[in-house]
Amino acid sequence: MLLLSTPFDPAAAAARRPSLRPFAWTALAAALGVGVGAAGEMGSALPPGLGRALALGAAHGGLLGLGWLVATGAGPGWPGPVLRLGLVMTLVPMVARLVPWGALAFAAMPALLLIEVHRRPDLRALGLVGCRLRHALAGLAAGGFLGAHVLITASLTFGHRGHPSSVADYASALAYDAGANVLSAEWLFRGAIFSWCWRRASFWPAALVSTALALVRYLLDPALPHAPEARAGAVFYLGLVGLVACALRAWSGSMLPGYLAGLAFFAAYRTVAP
Amino acid sequence: MIALPLVLVMGLAAVMAASDQGADSVLRHLYLVPTIWVALARGALAGGLVGVLAGLLHAPVVLPAVERLGITSQTLDGLLSLGLPALAGLLVGHLADGARAPAARLSAVLAIQRRLAEPGPLQGALTGVAKVLRFTLGARRVALLVGRDVQTALLASVPVGTLVDPDSAGAFTLATGQALMSRDLPGDSRLAGEHAPEPVPLRALTLPLVSGAGVIGVMAVEWTGELSPATRAAAEELAMHVGLAVENARLTLRQQRFAEELAEKIEAATTRLREADEAKTEFLSVVSHELRTPLTALQGFSELLLRSTLPPEKAHRCLVYLHTEACTLGRIVGEMLDLSRIEAGRAPELHPETVDLDALLERNVELFATEHRRHRFEWTRTAPGLALHADPDAVDRMMKNLLSNAVKYSPRGGRVLVSASPAPDRPGMVEVAVEDDGVGIPAEQLPRIFEKYVRVPHPDTAAARGLGLGLSLVKALAEAHGGRVEVDSLPGKGSRFRLLLPEANGHF
Repeated sequence: MLLLSTPFDPAAAAARRPSLRPFAWTALAAALGVGVGAAGEMGSALPPGLGRALALGAAHGGLLGLGWLVATGAGPGWPGPVLRLGLVMTLVPMVARLVPWGALAFAAMPALLLIEVHRRPDLRALGLVGCRLRHALAGLAAGGFLGAHVLITASLTFGHRGHPSSVADYASALAYDAGANVLSAEWLFRGAIFSWCWRRASFWPAALVSTALALVRYLLDPALPHAPEARAGAVFYLGLVGLVACALRAWSGSMLPGYLAGLAFFAAYRTVAP
Repeated sequence: MIALPLVLVMGLAAVMAASDQGADSVLRHLYLVPTIWVALARGALAGGLVGVLAGLLHAPVVLPAVERLGITSQTLDGLLSLGLPALAGLLVGHLADGARAPAARLSAVLAIQRRLAEPGPLQGALTGVAKVLRFTLGARRVALLVGRDVQTALLASVPVGTLVDPDSAGAFTLATGQALMSRDLPGDSRLAGEHAPEPVPLRALTLPLVSGAGVIGVMAVEWTGELSPATRAAAEELAMHVGLAVENARLTLRQQRFAEELAEKIEAATTRLREADEAKTEFLSVVSHELRTPLTALQGFSELLLRSTLPPEKAHRCLVYLHTEACTLGRIVGEMLDLSRIEAGRAPELHPETVDLDALLERNVELFATEHRRHRFEWTRTAPGLALHADPDAVDRMMKNLLSNAVKYSPRGGRVLVSASPAPDRPGMVEVAVEDDGVGIPAEQLPRIFEKYVRVPHPDTAAARGLGLGLSLVKALAEAHGGRVEVDSLPGKGSRFRLLLPEANGHF
């Protein structure tokens, strides 16, 4: 028992606050990538869709990099992993856009993240550990329930159809969710920010802060429909998905159930078509 | 307990969907039934979750109506009914939790009192208390450190097995009485060394155990995950109870020990009284016999002298007998008077003067050698001309008692050795030793032989006459002189009595 077995100095200084400079550099680099991609797309300087893929990759790369900085406290040696994650993440959507079956490249991202974390065993504390089957099933069930709910509600309310335009598009969207969308959200918002806040406060403040930041990220996403009802729906469902993922993270100690819940939710959501 | 209400919620949703009821259907209020049921049974969290589920299941009925009709009183009512079950579940569950918490705490306090009231060592009871605390607080580990010094304090932990560092958080709380809280112990910068963080925060709390006498221990608790303010308050309250209960248990244990010691003392005193009573009874029978013997002789010889005219030689012999028996009677009465004086708390009357020890010892040895011809008497002196500052009559009686005992408790033909010398270990004192090779005294009887009326029973010396007063008189007289009497003895080997008396300044 650490309280009795380990020396404890009540007057010891608190841990140093991390420098904000790495965060600024990472955000700036991501913003630059997004800007270049958007400019290329709008100016037709790049093949159609490539600029958008570049912006998308840079944005998610930035989220992964920021997650790394929050998780490690921007300690020494941060540029290497952040650059690797950011660059690979930037390239993967472009590969997916240019190469047939290129969407499979999204599978590289979870693998790369696991390799980077493997070098830093202390990052297992973010929840990068396995979980019990019942936790995984609970995650799939919660995400599936919310996904089914969004389908039914959208269908009854707006008359949206409940099937995707094509199997290839659906598979690409799922690959994007698995390797970028859900991955970066879980890594940054649940793994890094929720864990950081939870260790310093309690569950509800941590869950509300991380979910609120996740909602901001989705509301800033240009891919989200601009209709007010769509935005209200996004806030409602993504808020629920975020809170459920936080609850699963706290319950199981692992990010995996939340990740599976996100995948299940988006798997249903991607079938919604106006 | 939660499955049935969940089925009820889903069944209700299915009924509403099948019956194509509107957003303002009366049936929507039925969602409150399973929600409140769960809230009452499982608390705020479960109640809130079921309420959220009910709201979600009702949403596909309400939202299309909102889209179709816009915001009207009817759809507004439907929208409110989406959040109502969750709100009701949280509120009712919170109230139920609030009502259950004091009952749980009271139950824990009673369990703690029961554990500490159990007979047996405090260590075992503390482990039981730690188990109760761990269960009540939902903690991962609980340890109790009871004692004012961290090194010697009693430690009880659940799960079992932890070391105690003198600079630990627990030791700090024990020393200062200040509680410590850590929101995530492995990552706490106040904790020495590097500790691998866990996926779930490790909350930790040390609380002082306080009684009327100050801090008497520490309660250390570790939780994984959440530590709600209510749980922390419960821990603080329970620590307060544990402090008082432990102090009560310690006082009870002390009282029990005191009662046991008292009972032992009373038993020992009763035994002593019984023995004294028996000794007095025996004394009375002995004394009546001892007094009757010379009295009978006095009566007999005096009657003989009165009734008949005896030739002068016979008459003289009778008078010698009369004188001897009168002396014996006088000695017995004298001893009894001295002892009654000592018993009354008065010191024997002494008239100290310089006593020629050699002459006194020689006279006594010769006297006993004449009376007891079957014993061998030896008299040695290491330093000639020894003198005492003492009452000569008292010294004479002490010597007669010691010599008489040596004769009584040694077989015929036994050797009695008398010696006198300056005491090697007590400057200013003279040591007079009387040693025999008689039956000896068992070790367990040695502490009692100077008590009054005590006679050590032995089959070989059962016929020996005596009141059991001699040695107690010797002791009293020796102490009245500022000296003492000691004994060394081995059963079957003999005894050696050592009399220490103050030496006179001058020598003879």
